[in-house]
Amino acid sequence: MKSLLLLPPSYKKIGWLVLIPSLFLGISVRFFDLQWKFLTLGKGKGILDTKINFTDEIALTGIILGLLFLAFAREKQEDEFIYHTRLQSWQWSVLINYGLLLVATWVVHGLEYIDVMMYNMLTVLIIFIIRFHWVLNREKKSEQ
Amino acid sequence: MKNTIKVERAIQNITQQELAEKIGVSRQTINAIESNKYVPSTVLAMKMAKLFGKPIEQFFKLEEDD
Repeated sequence: MKSLLLLPPSYKKIGWLVLIPSLFLGISVRFFDLQWKFLTLGKGKGILDTKINFTDEIALTGIILGLLFLAFAREKQEDEFIYHTRLQSWQWSVLINYGLLLVATWVVHGLEYIDVMMYNMLTVLIIFIIRFHWVLNREKKSEQ
Repeated sequence: MKNTIKVERAIQNITQQELAEKIGVSRQTINAIESNKYVPSTVLAMKMAKLFGKPIEQFFKLEEDD
């Protein structure tokens, strides 16, 4: 079956290889204020030349790319049911994602809301990956 | 939609895996079709008909609410 917009199955492995170190880096940046010095660019002289450390940019880029690779890697035998499950899982994840965002909008206030938005950037992909593989596993396990 | 693919499979004496391989899909797909969770495309139904040697209506049946 022809399916658009999917990566080769090997990207699942690449996805994990990119995601796991990036996730560790991201956690270190977020909770332990890690900054790699060599990633600080700019001299910090004046408004146009501000010092920026790019450790968090690297971490987030890795996390997003890793999750994208995992979400868009084709299954070894990507057929019509799997493609159907894929689309259904996207629908699920968008709905749940915005449901969570709506709840958080009313429950979380102030600066903490920025955290909510940060995690919310990733939840669409995470919920999709979990739901999609949960359905495939369920069908795999229930034999005859 | 209801189907009796499980019965047809028993007649042919093939497993879900073997049926999946013969018509070029994953085993999950056969399982989902047999448990009425997924209605296959016409292409897939025709492939099954060819394999079982009988028309589609004999193993796919419409239900009241279809």
